Amino acid sequence: MRVIPFPADQPLPGEREWLAELESALSGEAQGAAAAGVRELREDVRSLAPEMDPEFAAQLAGRLAAGSVHGAGPQRRRRTRLARLRTHRRGALGGALASAAVLVAVLLLAGSGGPSTAVPAQRNRASETAGSNAASSGVKGFSSSPGEGAKLGEEAQAAPSAQTSAPSASASAPAGAAAPGRVQQLGASVTLSTAAEDVQAVADQVGALSVRLGGYVQSSQVQTQAHGNSEGTLALRLPSTRLGAALAAIGRLAPVRAENQSLQDITGSYEAARRQLSDAVAERSALLRALAAATEEGQIDSLRERLAQARSAITRAQGELDAVSRRAGTAEVEVTILGDAHASNTGEGLTVHRALRDAGRVLLVTLAAILILAAALIPLALLAACLLAASRAARRRQRERALDPS
Amino acid sequence: MSPTENDAGAPAGRAAAPKLDEEQFGSLFQACAADLHGYVISLLGDRAAAQDITSLAFERLYRSRARLDSRRGSARAWLFAIARNAALDELRRRRRERAVLSTEEPAEALSAVDLLVDAERRATVRAALRSLPLRDREIVLLKFHGQLSNAELARAMGISESNAGTRLHRALTRLRENCAGAAPEREVA
Repeated sequence: MRVIPFPADQPLPGEREWLAELESALSGEAQGAAAAGVRELREDVRSLAPEMDPEFAAQLAGRLAAGSVHGAGPQRRRRTRLARLRTHRRGALGGALASAAVLVAVLLLAGSGGPSTAVPAQRNRASETAGSNAASSGVKGFSSSPGEGAKLGEEAQAAPSAQTSAPSASASAPAGAAAPGRVQQLGASVTLSTAAEDVQAVADQVGALSVRLGGYVQSSQVQTQAHGNSEGTLALRLPSTRLGAALAAIGRLAPVRAENQSLQDITGSYEAARRQLSDAVAERSALLRALAAATEEGQIDSLRERLAQARSAITRAQGELDAVSRRAGTAEVEVTILGDAHASNTGEGLTVHRALRDAGRVLLVTLAAILILAAALIPLALLAACLLAASRAARRRQRERALDPS
Repeated sequence: MSPTENDAGAPAGRAAAPKLDEEQFGSLFQACAADLHGYVISLLGDRAAAQDITSLAFERLYRSRARLDSRRGSARAWLFAIARNAALDELRRRRRERAVLSTEEPAEALSAVDLLVDAERRATVRAALRSLPLRDREIVLLKFHGQLSNAELARAMGISESNAGTRLHRALTRLRENCAGAAPEREVA
């Protein structure tokens, strides 16, 4: 009998040392009978295996050299099909996840309403406040978006003969609130937003615009600061018939942050002034007739004195009527120009600053969408990873179970 | 991830490692094909299945050679890990089909062994190896045919290195005991 030497013939100093000895024996580093015995055992075990069929070895080498090992048995083909199916399944899963991500992103972006929603909301708030103020003061106020305001003004311009009793004011009444035979006074306030350094320039443009439209600047106050917010306030007097065009033109000078229009019915004042004038004129006519018929010196003097008073009354009445007519024919427009950090966020035109801000907004929205997606997908990914790990562990256990005794 | 845990049974290393080019793959085939075939046929006892699994292992390694990570084991270790997975799957399939696992060496192998001068010693080893539990026999075959280090052995089996060392120690100890026990019978016979 030949006893196979083994490094563990003697009591083992420890498993780690035993393994180290085994490794050095197998690698040929260790010498001696024990190491040679281990190497001999290895060769004995290896020699127990039948040699590979040379024909198969040559075929396999040829297929590998050609980069293809197709043509193996049905078992291999079945495994290949399963592998392809798994690959397709992973691809389909990835595609479904990507589609879901894109869908959620689109929904989020659609639901956000775009980057300019804050301005109309601010505009509406300003309009409501103005409307409530108008209601409490007895002024028939109304509010609208800048575009609507311009439209209303243009409609009023298109129908100048709607109010025949007061030609000077008829064309200025906004179409939505105008009533035939009524005399109405129009007013508006506009808040523009621009960069702090542009406040003065915009104020100058507003003033020039008012002159060009036949009006004037009643008062103006512009405050600019080297660092910080700037502000300008202008009180304009414009022909009521050109209010709509004026508001539209002002809106083109700078982004409109708020706009408010008001209407006040002054028909009563107008009628009172007109009656007063009419009465004064009638009285003067009567006095003139009486003067023509008077013969006595005292009577003539008295009539002439009363005629003088009548002329004064006519002058006053005419002045009052003219004042009321001016109120109807002139619209008061207050323009506030705000120069702040938010100035260039909205409005028309394209500037580098605005483009950068819009780009920042887009990035912000994108980041928010990514965060929301991540919040939804990360738990799913973790769950998938856990399932994958569990599946692999189960598969490994099943494989290892093949080595258990049946 | 262990190289044993890829869905396709292929190595799942990262692409940062050096890749296996065509020439290296050819050298690997020349160096490992016989050993791999010997490991599988010793485990399964079926030449057709051994050829099938040998082809499959090389094919999968070839397809995934771009992802081979040499820091996580040599190409030889990856190859034997793939083959081991496929061989264990084959064992499972046979078990499900209630096929009796052949523990007989192929006739041609017996005749080849019988022709060797020291046939007696190898017959003792064969008997000792056959008497080992399949789990122990598998690790001995993987160690000796694969010529893997203990770390590579652990990666191929998907277990820790210390666990692999313990199992290898236990299996080789049993093999030694079986050899010592089988020799007298052989001598008597």
